[in-house]
Amino acid sequence: MTVEHVTAPLLRVQNLGLRHVSGSATTPILSDVSFELGRGEILGIIGESGAGKSTVGNAILGLLSPEFQQTSGTIEFNGKAIDGMTADERQTLRGRRISAIFQDHTASLDPLMSVGAQVEETCLTLDSSLSKREARARAIDLLARVGIPEPERRYRNYPHQFSGGQRQRVVIAIALAGSPDIIIADEPTSALDATVQKQVLELLKILVDETGVSIILVTHDMGVISEITNRVLVMRKGQVVEADRTATILDQPRHDYTKKLLAAVPRLRIPTRTVKAEDDGGQAGSSAIDGDQNPLLVAEGLSKQFAPQGFAWGIGRGKPRFGLRDVGIRLPRGSITGIVGESGSGKTTFGRILAGLDTAPTGRITIGEHAFNVSRSGRRSGLLGRVQMIFQDPSVSLNPRMTIGETLDESIRFGGRTGSSKEPADLAAMMDRLGLPRSLLARHPHQLSGGQKQRVCIARALLARPEIIVADEPTSALDVSVQAEIVGLLKDTIAERAMTMVFISHDLAIVQAMCSSVFIFKDGRIEDFGPTEFIFSRSDNPYTRALINARPQRFTC
Amino acid sequence: MPLISVVLGRLSQAFLLLIAMSLIGFIGVHSVGNPVFNVVNIETATPEDIHAATIALGLDQPIWRQYLAFIGNVVSGNFGTSYIYHLPAFELVMSKLPATLELASIAMLIAAPLGTGLGLLAGRRSGTLFDRTMVKASVSALSIPSFWLAMMLILVGAILTGWFPSGGRGLTASFLGQEWSFLTGNGLWHMVLPALALAIPNIALIARLSRSGTIEVENLDFTRFCRAKGLSSRRILLRHTLPNISVPIVTIIGLQFGGMLAFAVVVETIFSWPGVGKLLIDSIQLLDRPVVMATLTFIAVAFVALNALVDLFYAVLDPRVRLSS
Amino acid sequence: MKAQIVSALKRRRHGPVLTASKLLLASYILVAIAAPLIAPQNPYDPLQIYGWEASSPPGTRGSGGYLYLLGTDGLGRDIVSTILYGLRISLVVSIVSSALAALIGLTAGVSAAYFGKWVDIAIMRLVDLQLSLPTILIALIAIVTLGPGIDRIILALIIAQWATYARIARGVALSEANKPYMDAARLMRLPTSRIIFRHLLPNSIAPAVTLIPIEVGHAVALEATLSFLGLGVPIDKPSLGSAVANGFQYLLTGQYWISLFPGLALFGLIASINLVGEDVRRSLDPRNHSL
Repeated sequence: MTVEHVTAPLLRVQNLGLRHVSGSATTPILSDVSFELGRGEILGIIGESGAGKSTVGNAILGLLSPEFQQTSGTIEFNGKAIDGMTADERQTLRGRRISAIFQDHTASLDPLMSVGAQVEETCLTLDSSLSKREARARAIDLLARVGIPEPERRYRNYPHQFSGGQRQRVVIAIALAGSPDIIIADEPTSALDATVQKQVLELLKILVDETGVSIILVTHDMGVISEITNRVLVMRKGQVVEADRTATILDQPRHDYTKKLLAAVPRLRIPTRTVKAEDDGGQAGSSAIDGDQNPLLVAEGLSKQFAPQGFAWGIGRGKPRFGLRDVGIRLPRGSITGIVGESGSGKTTFGRILAGLDTAPTGRITIGEHAFNVSRSGRRSGLLGRVQMIFQDPSVSLNPRMTIGETLDESIRFGGRTGSSKEPADLAAMMDRLGLPRSLLARHPHQLSGGQKQRVCIARALLARPEIIVADEPTSALDVSVQAEIVGLLKDTIAERAMTMVFISHDLAIVQAMCSSVFIFKDGRIEDFGPTEFIFSRSDNPYTRALINARPQRFTC
Repeated sequence: MPLISVVLGRLSQAFLLLIAMSLIGFIGVHSVGNPVFNVVNIETATPEDIHAATIALGLDQPIWRQYLAFIGNVVSGNFGTSYIYHLPAFELVMSKLPATLELASIAMLIAAPLGTGLGLLAGRRSGTLFDRTMVKASVSALSIPSFWLAMMLILVGAILTGWFPSGGRGLTASFLGQEWSFLTGNGLWHMVLPALALAIPNIALIARLSRSGTIEVENLDFTRFCRAKGLSSRRILLRHTLPNISVPIVTIIGLQFGGMLAFAVVVETIFSWPGVGKLLIDSIQLLDRPVVMATLTFIAVAFVALNALVDLFYAVLDPRVRLSS
Repeated sequence: MKAQIVSALKRRRHGPVLTASKLLLASYILVAIAAPLIAPQNPYDPLQIYGWEASSPPGTRGSGGYLYLLGTDGLGRDIVSTILYGLRISLVVSIVSSALAALIGLTAGVSAAYFGKWVDIAIMRLVDLQLSLPTILIALIAIVTLGPGIDRIILALIIAQWATYARIARGVALSEANKPYMDAARLMRLPTSRIIFRHLLPNSIAPAVTLIPIEVGHAVALEATLSFLGLGVPIDKPSLGSAVANGFQYLLTGQYWISLFPGLALFGLIASINLVGEDVRRSLDPRNHSL
């Protein structure tokens, strides 16, 4: 490793050890963690949950709760040990020298105080020489710098009146208020949509260039690491397993764990742009019905609006709900069709209407020769039961009071009635195919791992022998390493049975690996669609391009 | 949620309540014999008298017309005349209101700051001896039936020590055309025990709520972020924690103030405090039905009105409610 | 469910106060069951009561030959016996009313959630209205309308309490009904009865059931308050509340024992039910299982 900075590092952590004491139980959290941070450097700390990466950040900030005890090592800031300082001394460091950004932008801001006042309050606290008016001017300046449009006007707005990305920008403005030397950013973009995530990361990079601040970026996302960090610390179970320059880690990982983390990242392939062929689909439009002459399912003109909930004593707190505007789709028999969109794009609503779980006031769904009236409830229109679903979070997708055997048996007994095949489903064969040991049949869901639960959900859907399966983000609640297995299993079992699947996801790379054609949803409309190859290589739709560009370059090939 | 729908919701609730009370009252009046004999003397009345009274009371009308008339009366606050005092029932209730109001107000003035303060302290030191003692003490205080608490206050504060009077309103002074005890030293002296009896369970309740609120807010990310951005813990407590827990506390204070109007029934009876609650119990025992109905309806409607005020206040305090479109 | 409660009770390490209140509650229940066997006197039997020994202070030896350990009340009844028999009435009234209120409230709440539309609106309007008023007020209105008597007071307590269960059961059922496992059940086109009884109900009742112990505590206090106000159980068969009320007039003349001891017994009962009930609720709260 080459040492570039000659002067003493800004921050030096040496042999840091920490444990958690609760009653008589003592758990080691960190052991022998050492690293240095130079000026203007962005250091990434990556690891899965339980790696202790957030604890490192909190230890530097001096925000550990009393149950955490330091067992060894030192933390030096500007050559001075800070881990032994009194609470008051630590407090004078916070904000002025070391400040922080947390993951949850909603929870980071006081909901009862205007955004401007929260920035201004920080300026006043950190620089007591400021007058009220000067503090206000500085706050407006800070808001402008992090890219809040019209900061004078938005000064008096409250956090809930900002979008998620803007709230995180406000949090960054507050972190910058004391012109700190170091910002600890704990998963700063994990709660944001991909396109917004990209913008926030760019902002952080610009701020580092402009102000020379150093950032410790704690994350679980290799993509984020590859985008902006200079050096990386890979952590596992409280220990640093590997530390090096980012490029080296990505290209020549030495430790097995790092290799495993890298291998689990889904990669997006962008075929080289060929000369534009004939117009083979792919125009931005509301309805997308073309291609296949004999589709299994045709949905036409689906629209749905969610009225704001009103007139009740449950005050406020109505979540923003999004509808659909004139959405149409065609599913070729035996295909896997991807639906991609960010939060609020209407992709989940669409999936639920397909399955007959939700109604739509206008529109029509045809499966084979049967047309279904989607304005009536699924049970009445007969649509319910034709389509099975696999849901996002397997921990709430299984009845907690029924054994796995009971759940699957129910699927065989009741689900098969509307299924396509008349031959009885073979439970044992299905368990073997999905890699589920028979001993699980007598267990309850809480005794299973997340991956096992999702396999059971797949088994339940397949055992009902539907013609169509809708999978709604089936991997996003699972650990990275399990995700790949589930995706592979889904793809193979669907192909073996020649079933038709709709695969809903926000992750372009997984969709590319699974699907033969892709629909891109935005604000309840179909923004772009076409064969997978076309969408990823040649689509000119600006939103599609933005989505693809928001992917970390490093994991795109 | 627009404010208007909150207000509309409460209004419709108040209306529903009036209808329910009128139904209860109407059935009540007709289930205890001929109401005519409330007006005329059974022994001396001639058939002509009874007939005249029947017509005067509208009892010759079909039952649904009688009910409509009854509803009209209830909605306009006309509950009839007290059999005992020979005064309009509603007027009678109103004349007893100041005594109840001042007692409940003083009790809340004791309970609200004390409860909030204790809860904040316990919440900030959760897990310590002080906190655990506070939690156990509040469970005990909430377990004491209010009437027994009042009796024990009399036993200790009046009978054993002789420090405070055991009942009555003491001297009163006139203000805004009403008689008030809190304006005279003697009156205040008389209020100590009954006000304590009302306040103690509320101290426990408010303390409990503000404790759990404090713990919840202190665990939120934004208090951690406030510390990370360099604010002092004093400032975090006063400018961030307190406003955030004040929303549920204001709600409970409003609701409990209404609750005190109801619990005044017990405390006033024990301390012979001539308020609305004592009037209610006396009237129930004397079978003075118009007064019973008037009192119950008044307390219930006052409670719904208080709820509406709390809702409005809630909206003023919380920008998420105030500014949502 | 039962096994869950038992294991939850076993798992929790608890302090001396909780252990004491569990022991206290257990002995209350035992004593109430065994009252006719262990009470020195049957306070309902006029032949066993000596009117001339009314208001004897604690420790007086009565002509029946036994010791009035806690004295006698204004009618000459032994306070210990009054407490034992009163305990029976208080417990029966509050347990019966809470159980029935839970049954009615659960059914109403789950029905409101499942059927929605006007069933939901009708039930929840009533529930909201009731819950916006203090329970004591509802109980007062009910008892004034219904008249006195033990059966009436049970009815009044049910009326005062069912709404709490209904609201909780509806809330839980609604959130359960929106979970993916319920969607999966719908996708199987299960019969409605199977969806309700196999999927919705088992997952919805637990939170409401854990309320029962705490609500029994409330019911004891409510019954005592109504009886104290002279609106509850008749004076010849006093519950703990009316036993306290009987002593009120004697309190001012210094014969404190007539109301002090039944009151202490009542306080201990409510406090132990509250502490144990709170513990049951907390240990069954799924949020605590993840810790």
